[in-house]
Amino acid sequence: MTLVMVVDDDQDLAEMLGIVLTGAGIDVDLVGRGDEVIDVFRANPPDLVLLDVMLPGLNGIEVCRLIRAESLVPIIMLSAKGDTHDVVKGLEAGADDYMIKPFKHPSELVARIRTRLRRSSAGLSGQLTLSDLAIDLVAHQVTRGGKAIGLTRLEFDLLVALAKEPGRVFTRDALLSEVWGYRHSTDTRLVNVHVQRLRAKVEHDPENPEIVVTVRGVGYKAGVTGGV
Amino acid sequence: MHHRFFSRTKIRNSLAFKVIFSNVLLGLVIISLTGSTLYRQLSDGIRKVKVESSIGETRSAIFNAQYRILVATDEEAATIKKIVEDIVVNPAGVVGESVNGREVALLQTNPGVAGSRNFQRLSNLVLLSSIPSELRKRVQSGKGIEWAYSTISYQDGNYRPGLVVGEKISIPNSGSYEMYLLFNLSNQKATLALLRGALYFSGLALLFLIALLTLLVVRQVVRPVRDAARISEGFTAGDLNRRMEVKGNDEIGRLGHSFNEMAHSLQQQISRLENLSRVQQRFVSDVSHELRTPLTTLRMASEVIYSARDHFDASIARSAELLVAQLDRFEKLLEDLLEVSRFDAEVAVLEIVQFDFANVISRAISDLNLLAQESGTHIELIKSAMPEVISADIRRVERIIRNLLTNAIEYSDGKPIQVTVKTTRSDVAVGVRDHGVGMEEENAYRVFDRFWRADLSRARVRGGTGLGLSISLEDARLHNGELEAWGRPGQGAHFVLTLPRVAGHEIDARVIRLQPVDFPST
Repeated sequence: MTLVMVVDDDQDLAEMLGIVLTGAGIDVDLVGRGDEVIDVFRANPPDLVLLDVMLPGLNGIEVCRLIRAESLVPIIMLSAKGDTHDVVKGLEAGADDYMIKPFKHPSELVARIRTRLRRSSAGLSGQLTLSDLAIDLVAHQVTRGGKAIGLTRLEFDLLVALAKEPGRVFTRDALLSEVWGYRHSTDTRLVNVHVQRLRAKVEHDPENPEIVVTVRGVGYKAGVTGGV
Repeated sequence: MHHRFFSRTKIRNSLAFKVIFSNVLLGLVIISLTGSTLYRQLSDGIRKVKVESSIGETRSAIFNAQYRILVATDEEAATIKKIVEDIVVNPAGVVGESVNGREVALLQTNPGVAGSRNFQRLSNLVLLSSIPSELRKRVQSGKGIEWAYSTISYQDGNYRPGLVVGEKISIPNSGSYEMYLLFNLSNQKATLALLRGALYFSGLALLFLIALLTLLVVRQVVRPVRDAARISEGFTAGDLNRRMEVKGNDEIGRLGHSFNEMAHSLQQQISRLENLSRVQQRFVSDVSHELRTPLTTLRMASEVIYSARDHFDASIARSAELLVAQLDRFEKLLEDLLEVSRFDAEVAVLEIVQFDFANVISRAISDLNLLAQESGTHIELIKSAMPEVISADIRRVERIIRNLLTNAIEYSDGKPIQVTVKTTRSDVAVGVRDHGVGMEEENAYRVFDRFWRADLSRARVRGGTGLGLSISLEDARLHNGELEAWGRPGQGAHFVLTLPRVAGHEIDARVIRLQPVDFPST
């Protein structure tokens, strides 16, 4: 069974989340304080973390940073504020996705969790080469000169999305639907922040990216390419 | 900043320039008055002294001459002639003095008297015209010494300013004569010229001094004033920490002191208001958070119940549906209330991007077509195919258009709705015209009031919060645009949104007339 850690200080909301997720066949681990998260996380590593921003003890952005320091587990931030500032801070701290409270439909949350748990590269197998990077689609590993590069699932999916169609220029909307599973969202901040995080890990010089290249006014594409 | 300092208007508007100009002008008047008076008195004095000494000299010279002539009465003519020669050349009996600034003339009063000898004589080629005839008449008829100013002319063409003094003198056996001494006034003229020069020079020097002194004084006064102006400008620009430098306890010091006190008080007021606004903003944010969390729980709970409604009996199932619908409405209302409170706290800001205005309208219409069909109406769009790129907050512009469209659909009474897009070089406009229930003319502006209803007996159509148009008006104004309404009962309404192409610019003109073209103007 899949285990999702729900971190929220509002007990009723946490319980409700538990009911909805359990109903969808997902095991739930409820945590009410920010400073308790990392111990629970280590004791019982979940498959995904659902993390509220406003938490007693330690705020969600700090918690996100702590988890990211030791794990590549998918993290979805929950925020009551649509505040750009909060969202971007959460994404920069390592969150893969975010949801603004109140959600339109609980099913939307479940769908979002499923997307993060499912690999968009699931159907693919074999090996991709992008520049001097070797992407192993089976082992979900990216290596450069035999050395593994630790990417989150989302970063891996983003890289694979770009690498499997080397010539194609992806608009941000296309990436949102391909990698995040959004059908009609225009929040390009998600894409921008994650492209930057990916670049920081895979580029030789993140200031002059050669692997994830910006196509001005359109979006992104894979840079110097090898082949499948 | 600095280049303006030298511009023409700056000089004309400069306090220093005005004060210096008027001071110098006043100084000029005073100096020229005193200067000319002084000059007149000095020149009069010099002339008077000269005239008096000349008269004295003449008197003694004529007395001397008369005496010598009388003594020589019995001598023969040649001797008298010699004496006359001697008198004319040396009237005071002092050798060599005649050369020194004066000439002598001995003139016969009635020339041509028969039998008499003429001893008329002028020294040094002086012309007879040097002695004014008017003076001669006075001498001839008078008994004493007479004098007059004149120009001494010489046969070689030279002339000099002069003073002529004369008296009658008689030469026995030869009739009556007049003797004149002609004094050269060149020296006096030169002295006066020198004096005038000195006066002019000292006058100019004084003027310069006045200008300089005024400049110094004015600078002391004007500099703090200028500082105050500069600091006020800084204040206007938002730099509230600027203060004047205060030196001493004089008026200028007081000015600086009170200016600084004013600045301090202003700064306090502003920061108090800023603080209030921050508190308000904070409150809104807190309310938002505090309400959203339970709302999220509510929504999820209702959704769980709703998805299981098939297992309940009809009334509970319907209740579940109503619960979900009302939660939607509640959430919409919460959003709108938060937006309104953001406007009230003046914390609403534009997020400006460039986008195609016409495209946003087309998209909104196609999104709302379904709703329009449900209400038995449809929306006609009248626009050119050209994209109309504007710089504005796309979320707000989209919201205004959606609000206008849903409002029109809600009140259309099933009659078609026309949307017109018109643009100019500087502005864009959209008009939404429906032919439904409309409103009283005098109520047209009240549609933007919060929670206002045209017809209290009319039930609110599902979904509306009563804040949409009010928020739309605020959104339009945030862009420096305008949103206006027109309406007639039973003949529908017309809403016109006008936006500057670049948010914040002024609107040039109303691109679309508020009174609809299809409405006969009476």
